[in-house]
Amino acid sequence: MRRDQAKQTIGILRDAVAGIDRRHAGVGGAAWTDGSADGGVGFGFPPLDDVFEGGFPAHALHEIRCPLTRDISAATGFLAAVLVACLKDRQGPVVWIADPAARLESGEIFPAGLSMFGVDPSRLLVIHPAELKSALWASDEAAGCHDLAAVIFHLRGNPGLCDMTATRRLMMKARDSRVFACILRQAGEEEASAVATRWRVQARPSLADAIFEGGIGPLRLDLALERNRHGRTGQWAIVWNHRSRRFEQVPTHFVDRPALPFDRSHGAPQKGQVVALDRAS
Amino acid sequence: MTGRPDVPPLAAISRIRNAQRIVAVEEEGERAGLRGGQSLSDARALAPDLDSFDHDAEADMALLTSVAIWCDRYTPLVAIDQPSDAIAGGCGGLFLDISGCVHLFGGEQAMLDDVTARLRGAGFAAQAAIADTAGAAWAAARYGDRRIVEPGDQLTALGGLPLAALRLDPDCIDMLGKLGLRTIGCIADLPRAPLAARFGAQLLRRLDQALGREEEVIQPRLPTAELSSEKIFAEPIALQEDIERTIGLLAANLQPLMDARQVGARRLELRLFRVDGKVAAIEVRSAGPVRTPDRIQMLFRERIAGFHEDLDAGFGFDLIRLNVLESQERLARQDDLVAGGDAHEAFDSLVDRLGARLGVDRVLRFASADTHIPERSFGLVSAAGDRPDSSGFAVAAEAPCVLTRPLLLFDRPEPVEAIAEAPDGPPVRFRWRRAVYRIVRSEGPERIGAQWWLEGRGGRSRDYYRVEDDEGHRFWIFRHGLFGSETTHPKWYMHGLFA
Repeated sequence: MRRDQAKQTIGILRDAVAGIDRRHAGVGGAAWTDGSADGGVGFGFPPLDDVFEGGFPAHALHEIRCPLTRDISAATGFLAAVLVACLKDRQGPVVWIADPAARLESGEIFPAGLSMFGVDPSRLLVIHPAELKSALWASDEAAGCHDLAAVIFHLRGNPGLCDMTATRRLMMKARDSRVFACILRQAGEEEASAVATRWRVQARPSLADAIFEGGIGPLRLDLALERNRHGRTGQWAIVWNHRSRRFEQVPTHFVDRPALPFDRSHGAPQKGQVVALDRAS
Repeated sequence: MTGRPDVPPLAAISRIRNAQRIVAVEEEGERAGLRGGQSLSDARALAPDLDSFDHDAEADMALLTSVAIWCDRYTPLVAIDQPSDAIAGGCGGLFLDISGCVHLFGGEQAMLDDVTARLRGAGFAAQAAIADTAGAAWAAARYGDRRIVEPGDQLTALGGLPLAALRLDPDCIDMLGKLGLRTIGCIADLPRAPLAARFGAQLLRRLDQALGREEEVIQPRLPTAELSSEKIFAEPIALQEDIERTIGLLAANLQPLMDARQVGARRLELRLFRVDGKVAAIEVRSAGPVRTPDRIQMLFRERIAGFHEDLDAGFGFDLIRLNVLESQERLARQDDLVAGGDAHEAFDSLVDRLGARLGVDRVLRFASADTHIPERSFGLVSAAGDRPDSSGFAVAAEAPCVLTRPLLLFDRPEPVEAIAEAPDGPPVRFRWRRAVYRIVRSEGPERIGAQWWLEGRGGRSRDYYRVEDDEGHRFWIFRHGLFGSETTHPKWYMHGLFA
């Protein structure tokens, strides 16, 4: 048992060393040789595509997280946008596993909304496990199924069950069965895991709509790539144009404040703590 | 029940025809002259130390049902003979249709001995008989001296038995008795028309049913499985691996039968007969027709793993049966030479595994419904069911100009406290889940009317607004009821989240 743990630790450390090596070799220098970079997907948005040599490595485990529960819709929107790109040339169903704790706060996927976004709801297999343990088991099983196009695991917070070992196994299964696997983490902190990329999503006030001046514009996000095994990290303010179904740059004159440095996840510490107030009545 | 030495006899009593009467009595008590139907005061006169308790009909029925489940080991056609006050001697029992099963147990006599010996071993004072008709078997088991009535021999076997053996109303038996008609033989050859006129059609029907002149259909407790395979163990098995291997063997037996019919199983049931009489049933469903032993084995493995405890094997199982409860036609498929197999085999197998472990009601797909009320416009249905050709959803090739529907929806709209312009302005600010949101942009309203053809006149329309707060979060929020015409205090609800 202890031997296994030691082996695992060594494996993790080796991974970390390899990651550092790659970073030093520069983005263009080190090609990812173990074949995991295949399934390269283009977003059709140069700032994002430049980060990934040979396209976004879809056949791996990724993570999209939002630190606040209220940003879950923005994170789901970004995930749906990534799905649109990943499913473009890929047949097969999408398995969406929703942990009960997460569903309680975020609601259910609405098929009409999803299809407007560009993802066909009839491709979805929705799993509602009774507890986190079976949710993790289900994602494990699904990631190993090569008929699937994608596996989404929607969870809340940073449960101890979904640790380095669990994510490593998911990562390897997703790579071997060539499936896009993604953890959608709602109200979760940054944590050590074996994901290929980790994105942090935050909603931003939308810009005026091009057609209807007073209306709500397209989805605008603060997107941070916090971790990338295949290259650089970065931070962008982007807009999802639902009409062309692509990302777009926010016009510069609209950027109302400088972007935060990407390696500092929370910016300046807030004074005090934000708490929910009790009902007045 | 066997008597208990040194203790007074025990009787179950119940209130029948305005008196406390005995329903059932111990063997010991019968020897003292007690019998069913006697009033408690009469019984106390015969046996002053009689111990009595209230009769629990439901518990009796539950016990009888559990014996019926156990009797599945002999035949799939087991019917419960309901206890009834309207029949003399109607204390309940079981009918087993053993046509075609006898040879499996080494003949009628051996089967009868096996049933009675096992039931007596379990502590029941069981009486059984085999006959051509349910009525004759009923009579022979209760009153007859011959336990096996030869085919076509009902009249000679039953001729000497009392009329109570015909499942008749006690009053009718009394009346016949007053006329000196006491045995079945007495009425068997009497002219039928006067008998029917005097005592009703039921008498002749019961007589005909017993003698095989009229067909009687028993109603089996369970529908018969389409296909079934079983294995009897001389030495009971208890290990999980042994059970799994047995499932594989039974499935392998079923495979040629399914192939011959060109079907695959959609719903399977495993029945485990424990040595002490308990029967466990495990049911699994599959997304598509399955026929191979390893797929069937896998389904049951996941199902058993989904229970949070192991199977309670007790002293072991001595009979394991695999039933195909539901099957589906399999199209004879020509395997693709290039791909070498079904394109969706892996996905079907995944759905099966998830369904078996988590439960089929937790593995779902979207189905559309014909309504414009958002939360009812779709449903999540089990993915194990038949998959329709189209789910009613489609992605428009042309992207919509405005995203009018949210990505996430609350199936129960959550109330919010909103401040809005009367009569029909969008909310300016609202409080939801104890946090206050200030609205900066809004679009709407989109009015969704109540379904008056379903809900009647009282239904309220909803005015939906798409709103965005100062931090960029977008909500789908609606006012329930039109100001003025439908309500004076419209309430606001949060229904969904836009990306």
